[in-house]
Amino acid sequence: MCVRRAIPLLIAAATCLSSMFVCADAARDIPAVLVSRQLFVSEKMSVGDVVTIAADGAGTNAHRFRVVGSYEPVPDPMRLGVVRREMRMHLPDLLAMSADPRDPLAMETVDAINIAAIGKKSRDRIGDKQDAAASEAFAKNLAARIPGVYARPTAVSDDRTSPFVVLERFHLAIAIVTVVASSIFLLALMLMLVDERRSTVGILRLIGYRRRRILEYVVVEGLIIAAAGAAIGVVIAGLFQGGVNRFFQWRYDTALVFVRITPGIAFRSVAMAVPLGVLAALASSWTLLRREVFALTRR
Amino acid sequence: MIVARNLVKTFPMPAGPVRALRGVSLSIDAAEYLAIRGPSGCGKSTLLHILGCVDPPSSGSLSFDGRAVESLSDVERSLVRLRSIGFVFQRFFLLPMLTAAENIEVPQAEAGLAREQRRRRTAELLEYVGLSHRAEHRPSQLSGGEAQRVAVARALANRPRLLLADEPTGELDRATGDQIATLLDRVHADGTALVVVTHDGAIAERAQRTLMMRDGVVTAETRLERET
Amino acid sequence: MIGRAFVFAGRNLLRQPGRASVGIFGIAAVGALLFDMLLLSRGLVVSFRDLLDGIGFDVRVVASDAAPRSGPRLSDAENLTRQIAGLPQVDEAVTVRMVDATVDEPRSHWTIGFELTAIDPARRRPWTIMAGADLSIDSGQGILLNARLADALHARPGDSIKVRVSCIADRAALAPATFRVAGIAEFPFDDERWLSAAAWTHGVLGACGGGSSVPADMIMIASREGYGADGAVAAIRRIRPGLRPATNEEIVARMQQQGFTYFRQISTVLSTITMLFGFLLITVLLTVSVNQRLGEIATLRALGFSRARLAADIFWQSVLLVGTGGVLALPLGYLLAQWLDRILKAMPQIPASMHFFVFEPRALVVHGALLVMTAIVAAVYPMRLVSALPISATLRNEVVG
Repeated sequence: MCVRRAIPLLIAAATCLSSMFVCADAARDIPAVLVSRQLFVSEKMSVGDVVTIAADGAGTNAHRFRVVGSYEPVPDPMRLGVVRREMRMHLPDLLAMSADPRDPLAMETVDAINIAAIGKKSRDRIGDKQDAAASEAFAKNLAARIPGVYARPTAVSDDRTSPFVVLERFHLAIAIVTVVASSIFLLALMLMLVDERRSTVGILRLIGYRRRRILEYVVVEGLIIAAAGAAIGVVIAGLFQGGVNRFFQWRYDTALVFVRITPGIAFRSVAMAVPLGVLAALASSWTLLRREVFALTRR
Repeated sequence: MIVARNLVKTFPMPAGPVRALRGVSLSIDAAEYLAIRGPSGCGKSTLLHILGCVDPPSSGSLSFDGRAVESLSDVERSLVRLRSIGFVFQRFFLLPMLTAAENIEVPQAEAGLAREQRRRRTAELLEYVGLSHRAEHRPSQLSGGEAQRVAVARALANRPRLLLADEPTGELDRATGDQIATLLDRVHADGTALVVVTHDGAIAERAQRTLMMRDGVVTAETRLERET
Repeated sequence: MIGRAFVFAGRNLLRQPGRASVGIFGIAAVGALLFDMLLLSRGLVVSFRDLLDGIGFDVRVVASDAAPRSGPRLSDAENLTRQIAGLPQVDEAVTVRMVDATVDEPRSHWTIGFELTAIDPARRRPWTIMAGADLSIDSGQGILLNARLADALHARPGDSIKVRVSCIADRAALAPATFRVAGIAEFPFDDERWLSAAAWTHGVLGACGGGSSVPADMIMIASREGYGADGAVAAIRRIRPGLRPATNEEIVARMQQQGFTYFRQISTVLSTITMLFGFLLITVLLTVSVNQRLGEIATLRALGFSRARLAADIFWQSVLLVGTGGVLALPLGYLLAQWLDRILKAMPQIPASMHFFVFEPRALVVHGALLVMTAIVAAVYPMRLVSALPISATLRNEVVG
């Protein structure tokens, strides 16, 4: 009696199990697609979901794909503000979906081919420092061998019109203006500092200090103020960069790094600030040092 | 004109409160010449500032022309100083960017006098202090005595009934100090009440009444009999 | 009292001409940058809107949110355009296709590639004729070249050029078609280096061997007077719910959110920094000035000047410094804007007729208001110092010190 009752159960279980295997097989046949995090979240997808994708709005030649995961799109400064709804799939799958059946070459046509060069001597991948010239030479060679093909190294070219070069020049222009304004501010502070020292300088001159000695004091003081100020400024910038990056990454939903204080930038800031500080100290002290002693000490 | 009763002034200091005045009572009549003397730190200048409505007392009462000063607002006290009281300081405190004439015009302009009126009054005062020829000079171009005379002229600009002078000859040599003392005599003779805080015995001798102070209290009062 | 305080403030500034000059020039420098950032915050939007409105069409239909040529295209465009043109809210509708074309330069035989816009014959022409004649409605093989392409080809109005057109992504080598250069035109969306041309749809489709089945990049629509762009968009959505019509305003708003967002951000950040800088500069100048004049201020208080009167002196000093600097900032800002605009216009795909810094009267008003606010806020602390100054203690300290 137990066996008789068990038989339907066994059949049901076997049917279930075999269905699972059939489903698994079917799932394995559906090509995989990786979905950008933004699209994954906005469409409330889960890993394992099967989605239907077409290359045009009418849904022509739609294909089914299985979502195998999500990825963070490579940040693109030129697409700031654009919500990165995108997918990645194997090339044959993309071609199968998007190629025009009337075009015999459609399945052979791509937009670009990325090449990672391997060094001749070592089989290691050529590092950034070495291969700039080698990549350029390879690109030229390739373009010469295959007419109609445009090959170029991926390192940023010295194209004056490249958006990043233009933005860099824009930032430099803004930096120049802010440096000018900061120098004026520094000069104002130095003028006030010098004014407060008028009688002190007068007394020192009365005692017998020479102008040159006082000038040395002025220069050293300007140097210390400028160097300390620049160093503090770099530290503050370093502290702020995390907050700035976090804010803009949240604002634009991107992994792009907006601010990065490198040792080179820190050095350039200090190298610019220190001479400006010394110059401001000198400029503000000039009239003071030129005045006669009694002009400094009278009320 | 001024009645002060039991004036106390305490300054809170980090090391503990300092009682600059410990109960000073006095009265000043119109056109009276009062000198206040005493060692440094006895409270002379503090008393002068309270009488001039510059600083309120910590306790006690002060009335000016019958009005209780402690009941006046800050603006009202400023108006009293502007119209009824003149100040002369040891260090002159002339405005360096203005000429002598312009320094004298400053309180008149604040009191709302018209330009022509101010000019006439200023010329009059410069004549009074003997500095008509220095009207367009700035304070840095004046000697100490000349600067103090301009300060006296400025203090008289709005025809105050009371002139308060805090060590007016403190930064001047003897001869120049005598000139200032003579000028103050003249101011008094012309009907202005005068209270002078001074170390200078020569000035104190010219006053009708002298108060001696020590440790925040009036220790003695002398009246000088003048030969008529 | 205001007049007296103003004059007094002026004289106080003049007694320290070096300091006052530095304050004014400092405000002028940051004021110029502030003004430019205000121009930049809306410059692109205003410029782009003017560009779109100037073409004469106020609605566009595309297949997706992507920019033309970078996303899916509109299929069955001819029928769609006919359907839209038949709406009472629509005055004119034209199909636009942007295709690649090449010409062999006659002297050097270099192949020159350019973008050829195929557009339906219409009353409204999204170009400006600079030389020669416009395309006539019945000129099938007429072509307009932009100046750079005409120079590259050494072509003039009246010349014939052989053009290979590629409508779909095919690789078949088509025979070149002969076009007659009708004129040289300026296309509003060309950047400084672009090579482009325009011809009627039937001429281009005939040249590439594609018929009306070639998808379109865009349909440009001019709304009928009385209905407006919004009315046209609503009507289009009713007949074709799946389409994405957008008014010029909506396109501008989308660009502002996406394409221009970096410049809005930098404008906000730099405006804030410049105002903070100006505030600090004036506050420091005035505070130090007050601290150096304590005896003088106490004397004036003893003479009968009220707190308000002396605080007003400080306030007017701040207004004079910021006001004078602010006025100087305008010509400086104008020159700076020219320089920055020249730098930014070098960016690729920025139409030559667009500007990043565009003057609007409201920028001037906002600039003035921000500077006034800076002057007021910068004066607060030094005014407080003056108002709270203890007269006796200060006089005493001045004597002892």
